[in-house]
Amino acid sequence: MNKKLHSVSPESGPNSNLDLTPQLAQSSSAFLFEPKNIVPFENALVWQKNFQKSLIEEPFSPQAVWLLEHFPCFTIGRGSDKKNLLFEEKKSPLPVFSIERGGEVTHHMPGQIVGYLVLNLSLHKKDLSWYLRELEQVLIDVLDLLGIEGERVVGLTGVWCEDKKVGSIGIGCKRWVTQHGFSLNVDCDLIGFEKIIPCGLDQVKLGKLSDWIPGIKVCDVKPLLRESVKRRFKLNWENI
Amino acid sequence: MPALSSTMTEGKIVEWLKKPGDAVERGESVLVVESDKADMDVESFQDGFLASIVMPAGSSAPVGETIGLIVETVDEIAAAQANAPSPSPQSARQEKESSSPQVQEKQASVDSPKAKVITKASPTPLVSDSSVNQAQFLNDGRIVASPRAKKLASQMGVDLATVRGSGPHGRIQAEDVQSAKGQPISVPWIAESNAPAKIVSDMPRIKEKSVDSGKPPASGKSFGSRGETIAFNTLQQAVNRNMEESLNTPCFRVGYSILTDELDDFYKQVKPNGVTMTALLAKAVGLTLARHPQVNAAFSSEGIAYPSQINVAVAVAMEDGGLITPVLQNADKTSLSDLSLQWADLVKRARNKQLEPQEYSSGTFTLSNLGMFGVDRFDAILPPGTGAILAVGASLPKVIASKDGSISIKKQLQVNLTADHRVIYGADGALFLKDLAYLIENNPYSLSS
Repeated sequence: MNKKLHSVSPESGPNSNLDLTPQLAQSSSAFLFEPKNIVPFENALVWQKNFQKSLIEEPFSPQAVWLLEHFPCFTIGRGSDKKNLLFEEKKSPLPVFSIERGGEVTHHMPGQIVGYLVLNLSLHKKDLSWYLRELEQVLIDVLDLLGIEGERVVGLTGVWCEDKKVGSIGIGCKRWVTQHGFSLNVDCDLIGFEKIIPCGLDQVKLGKLSDWIPGIKVCDVKPLLRESVKRRFKLNWENI
Repeated sequence: MPALSSTMTEGKIVEWLKKPGDAVERGESVLVVESDKADMDVESFQDGFLASIVMPAGSSAPVGETIGLIVETVDEIAAAQANAPSPSPQSARQEKESSSPQVQEKQASVDSPKAKVITKASPTPLVSDSSVNQAQFLNDGRIVASPRAKKLASQMGVDLATVRGSGPHGRIQAEDVQSAKGQPISVPWIAESNAPAKIVSDMPRIKEKSVDSGKPPASGKSFGSRGETIAFNTLQQAVNRNMEESLNTPCFRVGYSILTDELDDFYKQVKPNGVTMTALLAKAVGLTLARHPQVNAAFSSEGIAYPSQINVAVAVAMEDGGLITPVLQNADKTSLSDLSLQWADLVKRARNKQLEPQEYSSGTFTLSNLGMFGVDRFDAILPPGTGAILAVGASLPKVIASKDGSISIKKQLQVNLTADHRVIYGADGALFLKDLAYLIENNPYSLSS
């Protein structure tokens, strides 16, 4: 028999380390939703819950990403310390939502882009710190495109410019399916943050992108965020 | 305390969602753990009761530490609670640490023999595939139900004795329980066809089924009723895409008949050690692939891609449609018992849709076995991204004429290789099959090495 056919050993092959793992592990698909109007917080909560539930029940069902703005509100995580609310909860100037995410109290308002990602980390990497760092990198990459240097602070989660925090992160996860995500201050009114100790960090100074780029709007940043999320998590947007 | 990330050393318990004494269902969230700015709902592995909370909400615990105890029956709660304050390895049996976000099950090692008996006697929620098959063939007035059906029945308060089974040989399926309760929802589980390859001598009843045409065959499966059109589910769509893609691959087929008497003898010897026929076939294929790297290779736009491992995927049908191919990694280098254990675990988790992508998509060669249905031969469609797939039929007694002219009855198995001709040529496929046949016919004992 013709021995030549078998003379190529695995080691000598030109692509011997080629990863043959098909599509799924490399890229996955997700719906992208960018509501034009400002979204009441509770609506976004329901949207995420629905996608998370179906992903838990059916791992092959679609993932989803939202980029949106909320009406002014505060949200606290399950482990949050209520001391960081500098007012009595019942007398809150704004609605307060207790939600299933990590981290302390935060504040949403128009002019801040909120990104929600319902991803099945089993398709990406089952590692929550990896995921948090990747979310930070999504924001840092966007800032980089805008010519702003975004930084991490060791031991903390979020993205800082100079000494001001511009991006916050908080997620919840169930059977490796995530919900919630990040917020990025673009040209919002930061005054609401004075009513709380944001992220439970005393002394933290908040910033927004318009501090560095006067006149920048949410609609300028959204397309960059959309691409950054897509690239970072190797997503294909599903047709809607 | 489960590990939520590779770098996590400890986690903070944010909240217990259950109180001691509460019943917990498999997959139900029991507590919330926070690490950094991420919250994770931690779920129970099994049905049972939260006996005690060792680490209260607000406290932090190192990864792997016992944080609570779950027991299977109400009776065990008190005993587990008595043991709870000292969760040292002596008092609580530490199960293998897992990075999955589920509660580390700790079964209190209870001293009272009564409780022990209860623990042992309580039904295992997931039955290994072969035992399901055996149970169903031994069904003499016993209730035979799928694990999923049993769980649903207990959840919904349905007495299985009153449910008529629509599955193979009257096995009660999840749907039967639901329709008994008036809830016709399709529930995924894995069909019988994923059963490890059975050689006829080991499954005499199957042999009867496949050979004796006097018996009425089990009715075929359908996803819809007459006149209906049922939308493809996600898994079926995925299979459809792969199958259509395979039309772009120039395939050829080459077949071989393999005598299995030696393999059967060997199987009988190793079966008591828990070795399954799937493991034997995967190992035989793995070892042969190691000597025929071309058959393990695949087409890529850059050229012939030689994978760094030999990963044998085995096709498994899903009851609600579609199929999945759990992968036995490094089949050439892994021992038979490890392969058998891995396979049982993969099938169990496939049934629960808990497989990770690399566990079903990293195959470099695929095995498809319909032998358990008595099929003598068939041909398989090549999964994209791989070079070849082997279709395995049943091992059936045949009259064999040997070279010296003598005639004997031997058991023979037909295999059929489908291969991508851009990578694997006819001679490659033929030599691979010849080598595989030689190994199975003459040297099955080498599989255990």
